[in-house]
Amino acid sequence: MKFADGGPCGLRLPRRPRNMQPQLEHPHDEIKRLRRCNNDLVSVLALPAMWVGGEPSLILHTLLDALLGMIRLDLVYVRLTDPMSEAPIETARVSQSLRLTAGPLEIGEVLNQWFGRDTQKWPPLARKPIGEGDLSVMPLRLGLHGEIGVLVAGSQRADFPCQTERLLLSVAANQASIGLQEARLLSEQRRVASELDQRVAQRTIELAQTNEELRNEIADRGRAEEALRESEQSLRLILDGIAGLVAIMNATGEVEVVNRQASEYFGKTPEEMKGWATSDAVHPDDLPGVMSAWMHSVETVSPYDVDHRLRRADGVYRWFRARGLPLRDNEGRALRWYVLLTDIDDRRRAEEALQASERELRVIINTVPALAWSARPDGSAEFFNQHYLAYVGLPLEQLQGSGWTVAVHPDDLGALIAAWQSMMAAGKAGEVEGRLRRFDGEYRWFLFRTNPMLDESGNILKWYGTNADIHDRKRAEEQLRRSEAFLTEGQKLSRIGNFSWLVATDDIKWSDQLYRIFEFELGVPVTFELIGSRVHPEDLPLLYDMIEKAQRGVSNFEYEHRLLMPDRSIKYLHLIGHGTRDREGRQEYIGAVQDVTQRRFSEEALGKARSELANMARVTSLGVLTASIAHEVNQPLSGIVTNASTCLRMLSADPPNVDGARETARRTIRDGNRASDVITRLRTLYSKKDLSPESMDLNEATREVTSLSLSELQSKRVILRHELADDLPPVIGDRVQLQQVILNLLRNASDAMSGVDDRPRELLIRTECDEGDRVRLSVKDAGVGFTPQAADKLFEAFFTTKSDGMGIGLSISRSIIEAHRGRLWATANDGPGATFAFSIPCRRESLADAETRVN
Amino acid sequence: MKFQPEGSATERPLVSVVDDDESVRESLPDLLREFGYATRTFSSAEEFLASDCVGQTRCLILDIAIPGMTGPELQQELIRRRQAIPTIFITANRDKTVRSRLLEQGAAECLFKPFSDTALLEALNAALRTN
Repeated sequence: MKFADGGPCGLRLPRRPRNMQPQLEHPHDEIKRLRRCNNDLVSVLALPAMWVGGEPSLILHTLLDALLGMIRLDLVYVRLTDPMSEAPIETARVSQSLRLTAGPLEIGEVLNQWFGRDTQKWPPLARKPIGEGDLSVMPLRLGLHGEIGVLVAGSQRADFPCQTERLLLSVAANQASIGLQEARLLSEQRRVASELDQRVAQRTIELAQTNEELRNEIADRGRAEEALRESEQSLRLILDGIAGLVAIMNATGEVEVVNRQASEYFGKTPEEMKGWATSDAVHPDDLPGVMSAWMHSVETVSPYDVDHRLRRADGVYRWFRARGLPLRDNEGRALRWYVLLTDIDDRRRAEEALQASERELRVIINTVPALAWSARPDGSAEFFNQHYLAYVGLPLEQLQGSGWTVAVHPDDLGALIAAWQSMMAAGKAGEVEGRLRRFDGEYRWFLFRTNPMLDESGNILKWYGTNADIHDRKRAEEQLRRSEAFLTEGQKLSRIGNFSWLVATDDIKWSDQLYRIFEFELGVPVTFELIGSRVHPEDLPLLYDMIEKAQRGVSNFEYEHRLLMPDRSIKYLHLIGHGTRDREGRQEYIGAVQDVTQRRFSEEALGKARSELANMARVTSLGVLTASIAHEVNQPLSGIVTNASTCLRMLSADPPNVDGARETARRTIRDGNRASDVITRLRTLYSKKDLSPESMDLNEATREVTSLSLSELQSKRVILRHELADDLPPVIGDRVQLQQVILNLLRNASDAMSGVDDRPRELLIRTECDEGDRVRLSVKDAGVGFTPQAADKLFEAFFTTKSDGMGIGLSISRSIIEAHRGRLWATANDGPGATFAFSIPCRRESLADAETRVN
Repeated sequence: MKFQPEGSATERPLVSVVDDDESVRESLPDLLREFGYATRTFSSAEEFLASDCVGQTRCLILDIAIPGMTGPELQQELIRRRQAIPTIFITANRDKTVRSRLLEQGAAECLFKPFSDTALLEALNAALRTN
């Protein structure tokens, strides 16, 4: 905001108001103006005379009125600082043209906003916007340093203040200062005088009061002495009227005074009581406690308060509460002891009974094997028993209110709260299940049961609840449900149906699956006629046999019989019945029936396939062996025949060549023995028809096979090498079967090399100890080997790479080796060809196993 | 009565025997000598080929299954060398398909062990006749 500062108009040819234009006005007007100014000055100077003895407010009012009468002002304002009070005195006059409805305080506030609070710093002149126009404002200090206050004159005129106005206002301000100072002095004198008067009056009143008090005191003393006399009498009455035993004792504890009740209780006259120590009547058990409390009170001169038993005149002890108060002298020593003995025996007994019953209740609550709790009618929890706290592992304070919800499983909380709220809304007992977290973090299922406690009018006073652990039951229920479901599925899958049969009434119940097995409509009443209509006519005797056995009450029966279905198909059933007694003690059979048709068919098919396969294997290996045997026997026979022929020719020559004949005859015998050896070997090979395992030397068995196969291998230009371990432990096995496997491996190896001409047809047969007490035999060839695709199928039946092979050799070999708890496998060689090997347990392990089994 | 083989009366014709079985190598030469032949024995085809008898041998008695080069291979080898010799195969494996195949391939005879002296003599006569 810009200050519209007009500056002092008189010093710089100020613009004058229209009616005050000195340069243009007539000299007559000038004279008139000056005269009027003179008059005004005289009036102002005369003001103090009017003010003599007046109050500052009077001074201000007359001053302001006079200024308004002299100068056309729009605003006159005075602020007096009052030395006696914080708040200044403010007065103002406002012209109508200013259209200001504000009072002195508001005007003062506006001035403060313009110029600040400190009037001594206000500027000598300022022009400020007010309303729609501007206002020239001239503050004038009252007093030499403005210590009295400030006078503010304002006008909307731009030329305000002209010289004469300035002069007039200055004089008026000075006059006001003088007048106000005088008024202030005067009022101070008046104040001092009146204060003096007040003090004199006050003192006079005080003296009068003191006099009165003295008089009263004198009167009181007289009354007190009278009262004392009365009080000693009334004390007696009071003491006797007190519902308790009262004793007044001296500092050493000797009785001085007792009331009537006391002397009656102890059965002594007041005189007898004197000098008697009440401790004589204290129960011996309580005496140590009483004595120590009494000694403590005596030492510290402090009140004592002890419960103890006192012996009545008739010897009965009753409980008393003894309260003792010391009367102290000026130095704080005890002069006397006032002791009140209140009979609390009945209360004590009631309390004890109550405590006992509460204890009992608590024990009950804490020993019930459930989590117990109580809640206020609004549902906020109040109490939890020890089990509850121990279970959740949280302190009582944390559970109270709605704190207990923290231990409820989040998934169950919603339903639990809803159930609890509906119980509260209905005001009726209820129960709900939910999981509650144990201290170790495990959630267990609980049944929350609540019961409201009602008053006579049916309002709920409290809720009581117990949470019973139903976790195991819940689990069992789940398991039962699951196993029932499993059973149903299992029955479907295994084609097992169940039945129960109450023999006395022939009441037969079937499971759904049994209906399906018999292909009867579900729910049709089951009778033996119905069953008989399905049972294969040839097996009907079995049914009659079963009925007869049941009537005899045998404990168990088991049958395999057939059903003849309407479409003439046959079903094989396996039936097991177990006898039991129902609740009324009647004989009942519970049983299961399994449809074994498929199993029966597969077993038959499997058995057939097995025997066919075995037969084929025998034929195959016999063929191989026959060829070998023929070769081995024909060699020596050939020698025998040739030698015998030669011998005959030599003998029939002329002359007979006797020496030659003898030599050839000798060779005949030798070759005959050789043939016999071959037969012996064959007998060794075939004499072990017995399939029972025996301890055998795998090397020896191998040599027998290779010696029989040698000529065949040679004919195929196979170079056979042996690497048979010297220290090979014996194995347990079927010699013929194992030799059949070895022979098969040799033949396969030989066949694999039949097309090989670019490298030696080498065949290596090796035996060695394998890890884990096993013996390994491997046959390595240099043949065509096998592809990775073929590797998976090598041991499958009827898989073969040979044009003339059956493809069952390896399959049978593997089943033989597996029957020996061994393993047969094939690996591709680093070079050409493949290695087939088997590994079977040696005898050490077998024996150990056998021993383990026996034990 | 002294049996005289057909052919030369002054020089006995040479019959070579190749068989890995020692009893054959022992017994056959005596019988062949009784028949009036000269005889040499070898335990393998390689041994026979390496000997100086290939050209002189009038008839070869050859075991089919011998280690190394087999009987039929030796026969083929001799044909390849244009030194074909009438051959009688002998074998302990009584396999008729093998016999007929060998006869097709030019064998004079194929005898299954054990064979009689007369069967051998007939075979020898037949072999030397074809020559």
